[in-house]
Formats: sequence, structure tokens, C-alpha cells
Amino acid sequence: MPKFGLSSSKGDAKEAFAADLARRLLLLSDAIIARSKLPIRTLISFCWLLTVGGGFIVLLNYQESAGGTGFTPMTWPSASALRLARGQDTLIMFAHPKCPCSQASLEELNRALAKTAGKVSVRVLFFKPAQGSNDWTNTTLYRTAASISGVTALEDIDGQEAGRFGANTSGYVVLYKPSGDLLFKGGITAGRGHAGDNAGESALVALILGQDSAIRQTAVYGCSLFNKRCTTDTTTPP
Amino acid sequence: MTTSVAPTFTDATDSVAARTEMLFHEQQQSIVKHTDRIFARLMICQWIFGVGLALWISPRTWIGTQSSIHLHVWAAIFLGGIVTSAPVLMAFLQPGKVLTRHAIAVGQMLMSALLIHLTGGRIETHFHVFGSLAILAFYRDWKVLVSAATVVYVDHVVRGLFWPQSVYGVVSAPIWRSLEHAGWVIFEVTFLMISIRKSLSEMRLVAERQARLESLNEHFEQTVVERTAELTRSEAQLRQSQKMEAVGRLAGGVAHDFNNLLTVIGGYCAISLAKASGGDGFRKNFLEIQKAADRAAALTGQLLAFSRKQVLQPRVIQLNDVVRGMEKMLRRLIGEDIELSTVYVPNLGNVKADPGQLEQVIMNLCVNARDAMPRGGKLTISAANVAIDQESSFRNRTLAVGDYVMIAVSDNGMGMTEEVKSHLFEPFYTTKGVGKGTGLGLATCYGIICQSGGAIRVYSELNSGTTFKIYLPRTDAEVQTSQTEVRRLPAGKENILVVEDDPAVRQLAILILREAGYNVQESGNAFEALELIRRNPIFDLVVTDVIMPQMSGKALCDEIKAQIPETKVLLMSGYTDDALAHHGVLDEGLNFLEKPFSPSKFATKVREVLDEPADPFRAGKARGALPASFA
Repeated sequence: MPKFGLSSSKGDAKEAFAADLARRLLLLSDAIIARSKLPIRTLISFCWLLTVGGGFIVLLNYQESAGGTGFTPMTWPSASALRLARGQDTLIMFAHPKCPCSQASLEELNRALAKTAGKVSVRVLFFKPAQGSNDWTNTTLYRTAASISGVTALEDIDGQEAGRFGANTSGYVVLYKPSGDLLFKGGITAGRGHAGDNAGESALVALILGQDSAIRQTAVYGCSLFNKRCTTDTTTPP
Repeated sequence: MTTSVAPTFTDATDSVAARTEMLFHEQQQSIVKHTDRIFARLMICQWIFGVGLALWISPRTWIGTQSSIHLHVWAAIFLGGIVTSAPVLMAFLQPGKVLTRHAIAVGQMLMSALLIHLTGGRIETHFHVFGSLAILAFYRDWKVLVSAATVVYVDHVVRGLFWPQSVYGVVSAPIWRSLEHAGWVIFEVTFLMISIRKSLSEMRLVAERQARLESLNEHFEQTVVERTAELTRSEAQLRQSQKMEAVGRLAGGVAHDFNNLLTVIGGYCAISLAKASGGDGFRKNFLEIQKAADRAAALTGQLLAFSRKQVLQPRVIQLNDVVRGMEKMLRRLIGEDIELSTVYVPNLGNVKADPGQLEQVIMNLCVNARDAMPRGGKLTISAANVAIDQESSFRNRTLAVGDYVMIAVSDNGMGMTEEVKSHLFEPFYTTKGVGKGTGLGLATCYGIICQSGGAIRVYSELNSGTTFKIYLPRTDAEVQTSQTEVRRLPAGKENILVVEDDPAVRQLAILILREAGYNVQESGNAFEALELIRRNPIFDLVVTDVIMPQMSGKALCDEIKAQIPETKVLLMSGYTDDALAHHGVLDEGLNFLEKPFSPSKFATKVREVLDEPADPFRAGKARGALPASFA
């Protein structure tokens, strides 16, 4: 078989380089293992734990990454199509009908309502795009909200009401006095989709029951209601 | 000096303890491996379940009208996969290893954390932790529970420090709150540890019981092996006895008629030889007939000997005397190439045996030794007093504990293989060429020694030599001199009645006796003889065959002794079938002549019996009871 000098020598050189590289890598890995003075199993176990630990850190960070909020008026917005309840506080929760994290928010709302026993008028407004199909709000979350005693589930076309109340993230709650003054704004879960005791839910219950609460504003965890995120509202209700 | 090392109680206890430890460890390993397999499957199922859960609860995350796959789905697939992979791989590749179960414990607790996370921290999912701890207790290793509990605690401490909301729902929480959450895990682990301790204790108890049972079974098995060997020996002994019995019956049957024929042939031949003149050509022919008859008689004798059907006439003898008496003859027998060495031990004990048969045994052994040394060698015959203090068996014959006189015949010939040794004493088994041996020599020796109450042992090394050792029971009785050694002229004038059913033998006996000068009458059966004696009670001696139709010679003898005790009786037979003997040994007080006999032997024996002193006590007693018919 004829040899084509140039290409053949190039191929040989590549092969030799690859072989040399492999040999060097092997020696390097041997040296690392030898210098580490640790058995290979311990090293593998350590790497495994490190990877798993890293994964959990990512998860926890995601869980605790708060959503953005808009500007929430300190008094009941007159432009709102919703009416302020008479003789009792008005609570509005804004939710994305398909947000899995908001299931925890509804659970906390349910728990809070159980503790306040009808002392508040509650509406849950589900974001629905104007061009959205009729099935947009035909979700478990919507049905769950509708099934909670004392809760009225409503569609919020294009998030108009959410915009008026400064809600950008699913699970955002606002509580207004019968006088129209803002009592509380923020989320009632400790993290994204994480049910359980949390400061927001405790504060909400206290305020509904007419008690004082140092916490009037909390971070909200959930999916974004709008395609474009808004800046976070940092004003605190009085 | 030999010392026996018997297993002690401590050895047995140590053995059971070691076996207990082994069984306990085996059982523990079996449980650990089984639990490893359970967790390997469980963790794979959990992983699949986790992915399914994430897809069901939080498939997508939304930003307005746009959505993407939720991070929980990726976490379930990849993080769950990584958490699961290492313990599962270890469970399949290294089941039973300590590191494997600890990896499984850590992995299982991390999987609990992931599942709790995927379900949004639902309190119900926290039961996965407690359920997992219970399953981890299957390992029956408290350290595994410690690893699992440590993971739970570290998880709470780390999250309490960096992500307190995820655990306590508040932005900041004191560090002791981690103990509050881990407390329930520690509570469960404590009780599981108590349960594990109890379970291990029970496992050890079961292992100990099994070890003890095995030890007991081993003992039983050993006993069964011993008993089976004993049974096999007994069966072999029974088969050998049956074989010898069958051969004996055959030999006996042949011997009876054959010896009668040989008696006639030999007898007439001897008479003819006596009458033939020295230059007569017939004399040579008669001599050949005589030789053939003698050889045939010897063969019949051997057949009876190995089948132990011959009649032994034992007396107390000294083996030194027997060997000394044979020495000259043996030197001629073995030839000049072989050096014969005899060792006579002083104070050698006496034995009760048939000296003639014993000579036959020694001669057979010497002939075999000679044949084993074709190029010459050394043959040693020695005797010694031996005390056997432990029962031993050989060829189904047990040598009981007691005092024996041992005679050993040793040669430095070619020796024997194990195969040859195993067939050594079987009749018709020979290693000699055709026509050189009948294969009855050692069988005869064995039969004679066994019949004499002794035993024979053989020790042989190929190309080194062979030693035969004969053990005969020692007796304290004094040595009896043989009466047959007293030679007298076989003649007399007494009245003799010959009772023999075989006319040829009868006529020969009559001829011999008449030629010796006796007054002889004859009878063909026992009843006729009794009638003859009743009518004419003049006989000094009745010579009778033993095996006869209607009435045996022994019965006739008893009848005569009862009626006329002074009449002597000589019994003759080629085969007695125990009529005269117990186990082949002649009953006391009987005179017996073995067929075939020569005229001189017959005449000598007749004279010997006639010359015996009468028993006055018996004679008087019997005479007083003599019936009227005999008076």
C-alpha cells in the first residue's frame, strides 16, 4: 500500500501526540491520587457529596428567590372594578392559574381563613390574557381557590387589576381596611411553592383579627404574572 | 509409648463458640446483602417516583403567558439521579460492604430531603424520613442509623444557618431550633437502636443453638459412620460364613463318598504292594496308584480343612516342640538356597491344638515362603508369648483380648500387593502358575487356625518380604504326649464287629483285620449290628462307620456304650458332619479314625483302642443296668 508522505506523517504525529497526551493525563491523575493520600473511594464519595450538595444549594436558592412587585397604592385604588367590602377587611390574592408554586399560597390562604373565621372578604384574581382561551383558567389551582369557603375566584383579564394593585408575582396578597387603607402586602409563603409556617401568613392573620403586627410587607414567591418583570415596590403600608 | 490426645471439653466449647461467631457473621452478612438489594430497588423506584411527582406537581414555570420546564423537573431527574446512582451502584457491585450501607443511608436521607422539597415541604412527605429510618434498621447496624440521623441533622443545621425560611418559615432562627426538628429523628433512632440490639442478641442465640445442633449432628454422623462400618463388617462376616458353609457342605458331601472310595483304593493297593515281590513290574504301578490315592486324600483333607469341616483332635502341645520336630523336614522342603532360622523362646506357653494340623499349617506357610524366594533368601520361624490388650479384627475374625502364643513365619521374598493380600485366604486363589498350586494352602491354614480358636495375620511389603503371624490361645494345662507315638504290631485275637454300609470299605476292613489275626464279623447297618450284638455279645470291639442310613455310627456307639460298656467302639469316617464333634473338635472319650486310612494305620488304631484300659466306673454302672436281652 502506497504511503502519502506528508498526510501520513501528519497522521502519525497526531496519533503520537494523542498517545503522549493520554499518557501524561494518566500520570497526572496517578500523581494527584498518590499525593492526595486518600483512597479513590473516599475521593469519589467526596465528589458525589459535593455534587449533591451543589444541587441542593441551587434548589434552595431557587426556592428563596423572591418575585418582583409593582407599586401597591396605600389606599384602595378608585380605578379598580372591585368593590371594597363594608364592615370587614378586604383581601385580594393575585395568582397565575398555571403557577405550581401558588398551590402553597392557596394552602396558606386557606389556613389563614380558617383562623380568621369569615372576618375578611376574600377574592382571588387569576391572570388571564385577553387572547387566552377559555381553558386558560380551567386549572386545578383555579378550582382549588373556588372551592375554599368564603373565597371568590375571578378572572383578571390581562392582569388589569393586578396592575392597579402592583401585583407582579403569583401569590401576591393585599389587605385593605374597610376604610380603604392598606394593611398588608406581599406573599404568604416562606419560599417558592413551600407551604408551612411563615411570617407573611402570621402577620396577615394577626391584622385580620385586629391585632398589631410589625410585619406589613413580605417577599412574594411565585411565577411572574406578566411577560415583563417590574421593579420591586419597597414602600411599606403604615 | 503412645499417648492419646482426646478432645477436651474446652476444645468443644471453643469450637462451638467459633462456629457460633461464624454463623452469626454469615447471617448478618446475608441480612445486610438482602437489605442492600431492597434499597437498590427502592431507591430506583423513589427516583422514578420523584420525577413523576415533579412532572405532576410542577411541570412548568410561568412568566405571564410564556412557560418553561420547572427547575423541580430537572432537579428530580438529575439531582435525584446523582443521589440514587452511587448507593445503587454500590449495592449492586459491592453488596454487604460497610461503605455501601452507609452510602445507602446517606442517599436515602438526601432523597427524603429532595422529595420533601419537590412536594413543597408538605408535612406528610416528612414521614419518608421516618419510614426510611425504619427500613434502614433492617441492616441491624446502629451505625447506619447514626449516619442517616447525622445527614438529617446537618441538613437542618446548614439550612437553618443559610436558608432559615426553608426550615423554620422565618428569616432568622436560633441554632437550637435545629435540635427541635432533629429531636424526633433522634427519638426514633434511639428506639430502633434498642430494637437492633435485641434483634442481634436473638440472632446470636439462634446461631449458638445452630452451632450446638451441628456439633451434635456431627457426633451423630460419626456414630452412624462407625455403626455402618460395623454393620458392613458384620455383613461381610456373614457372607464369608455363608460362603464357607456352602463350600463346606459341598466338600463334606464329596468327602464322605470320596474318602470311602479312597480307603478302598488305598487299602487294596497297600495289600497288593505287600504281596507283590520286589522285581514285580506291578509293584511300580501299585506305587503310582498309592501316590495318586494319597494326593487325592490330601486334597479331600484340604477341602475339609479350609471349610472347617474336618475333625480336629486337639491336645495340649508346645509349639517349640512342633517346630523342632519339623525342622529337618522343612530344611529339605525349602532347599539349600534358603536359610532357615528358628527361634525357640524359653518358657513358651502351651496351646491346645491338633499337632498334625498345625504341622500342616507351618508347612504350607513355609512352602509359600519358599515360592516367594525363587533366588533364595531367609526364612525365619519364631514363637513368642503375646498378650493382646485391645480387640482387633482381620478378615471378619476378631482377636479377643487375652494371652496367646504367637508363631511367626517370615521371609524376605518378593512380598505381596494389596490386591493379593485382599484375596490371600480365599479358596482356589493362587498367584502360582498352572499346576504349581491348588489355591487351597492358605485357605486351609486359615480354616485350621480359625477352627483352633486362633487367628492369623499377614504383614507384607512389596519386594521386602512377608510375615504370617498365627495366634493361638494360651493354656495353662500340661503338655500331653501322643499315644499314637506308641507303636505296636497291629495284630490280635479279639472278636471284632465291622459295621459299614459301603460293602467295599467293609470288605477291606474285614480283610485287614482277619489278616491281622482277629475274629471278625460284619454288618451292613446299625440295626443289624445291634441285633447281632444282642444275640451274641462277645465282641471286644465294634468298628463302625459314622454316616449310615437309618441309624448313625454315633447313635450305635451310644447304644452299645449304654448296654455293654466294656465293648469298645472305633468310629471311622471321611466326613462326620458334626455328628461326633462340636465345631469340628472331637467329643471327649470317642475313638476316631479318619478315612481314607491305610491298612497299617487301621490295624494300629484297632490295636490301640483294644489296648486302652476299660473305664471300671462306667463298666460297673452300665453292667448293673444291663437289660435282660443282653444278659
